[in-house]
Amino acid sequence: MKVNNSNLDFDSNATDSESERAAVAPVVCLENIHKQFGSLEVLKGIDLKASAGEVISLIGSSGSGKSTLLRCANLLEVPQDGEIIFEGEPIIWSGSGFSRKPSDNDQVRKLRTNLSMVFQQFNLWAHLTILENVIEAPVTVLGRDPLQSAAFGLELLEKVGIGDKSDAYPSQLSGGQQQRAAIARALAMEPRAILFDEPTSALDPELEAEVVRVIKSLADEGRTMIIVTHDMKLAREVANQSIFLHQGLIEEQGDPEELFGNPKSERLQQFLSATASV
Amino acid sequence: MQMCVDPDGLAGLSWWLCYLTTNTHYSFYLSFGTILILIFLCAPVVMVLGFAGALSRRSRFLPLRTVGLIYTSMVRGVPDIVFFMFVPIAMDQAIEAIRHKVKCPEVTAPIFQGNDFVVCTAAKMPLSATDQWVHEIYGFFLALVAFAIVFGAFAANTLHGALAAVPKNQLETARAYGMSEKQVFWRIHLPQMWRYALPGLSNLWMILIKATPLLFLLGVEDAVYWAGALGASKTQIYDFPHGDWRIWYFSALLIFYLLLTSVSERFFKWLTLKVTREHNLNTDDLSSGVTA
Repeated sequence: MKVNNSNLDFDSNATDSESERAAVAPVVCLENIHKQFGSLEVLKGIDLKASAGEVISLIGSSGSGKSTLLRCANLLEVPQDGEIIFEGEPIIWSGSGFSRKPSDNDQVRKLRTNLSMVFQQFNLWAHLTILENVIEAPVTVLGRDPLQSAAFGLELLEKVGIGDKSDAYPSQLSGGQQQRAAIARALAMEPRAILFDEPTSALDPELEAEVVRVIKSLADEGRTMIIVTHDMKLAREVANQSIFLHQGLIEEQGDPEELFGNPKSERLQQFLSATASV
Repeated sequence: MQMCVDPDGLAGLSWWLCYLTTNTHYSFYLSFGTILILIFLCAPVVMVLGFAGALSRRSRFLPLRTVGLIYTSMVRGVPDIVFFMFVPIAMDQAIEAIRHKVKCPEVTAPIFQGNDFVVCTAAKMPLSATDQWVHEIYGFFLALVAFAIVFGAFAANTLHGALAAVPKNQLETARAYGMSEKQVFWRIHLPQMWRYALPGLSNLWMILIKATPLLFLLGVEDAVYWAGALGASKTQIYDFPHGDWRIWYFSALLIFYLLLTSVSERFFKWLTLKVTREHNLNTDDLSSGVTA
């Protein structure tokens, strides 16, 4: 399950399966990301590298910038400084500072179709059925065949355990079912990585468990994932690398067992004891 | 009808048959058709103008945005009746002034002479020699344009509000999945807009129906005109003398409008249900979803 345990310093190394992967560029690489909203500096220079098969959990208190970082990876937010490199190909920018934006729409589309997002509030399209939600982007954006996409979509819905809900509308589903549908929607893009933005935060514990189960099974398949979460159990058990953000900077990162079991920085110790007591 | 040639000798049912089939009565019946034609021709034009207004107000291009804003706020800030009076006159004079310049370049006298608007005969629209029905159609057309401009601005406001009411996260998600702005608009934004626009649009439709008697103001001989004219008491010099029957004629008008609005109301109820069925949070649906 832990595919890539040993890359604390992000260097690809040693084992056989990894030497194969080393030849390939990381799926997504963020370098020195700076993001400011008005005068509020949310990200103050963050590096993050997700290699194929790696599961990264991003933790930190509210306002630490973890969601913003994730949204930068998908260009839902444009960082004022820093590079976003998708499979070795850096995003090309025009302008600088607050007027900075990606200059090549095709490049943005390529990045976004390969990094599927799962949102805290599910954000299923309310006017489409569950199956229509799943095949919408593959058909309209990737130009896939609708019938084949529907067959694949049904398969994915089966996989996340809601095959019987394909014709229902999002409002007819529970939160847990909606989030699993949203995961199926992400998978339907056959992305190179999946970005989870607090996928369980809007769910009560019972429904949370079913979503966590799906996320774990995806990790077992060796999918590349970046998970922003407040769920420390999820962050610890699913990831093979954890990153603790504090006030827009990486405070501590490394193997989850090490990070959660033996936190080095005072901030992380405080954070973990505070969340444990909840 | 043959028997109607000599109305004085008629009584009972045949009197009524003849009375209700006079030419003036046919004009009265046709005026109901005029109302229906007006609203059904108006509606699509109103929607086009409404979308044009709403989208230009949302435009990133400042001049276009300004035009949209001026259009909607001007119509909103001016009494409807003023617009209904103004637009046909202004359009009529504009058309004739242009025709005057094109067709009679030799005339040097100014178009506005004191209080009078004077164009050469060739510039008249329609030409004075044309049949009466052409004049009527033209007058109706000007009225239609006035209605469309006024209601188009109201529709623009409704649609602008509805477009803004679609939750941002629905659109953001579409972008996150690689949709272009065009795809976001056609695939997500527009389909989701209807549920927010429908209450306003159905309201607008009702107001449009109820505004149709204003045709009278624009010189179109509409149902209100005929109800008044036919209902007024007729002395013995008329073929069909009767007392003041206006109450009955206006009652017929009342029933017509009530029927029209109640059918419309039912239609919009059905449409609203159809559009919101999917994504309205129905508590029954929700609870069954949770337990399923």
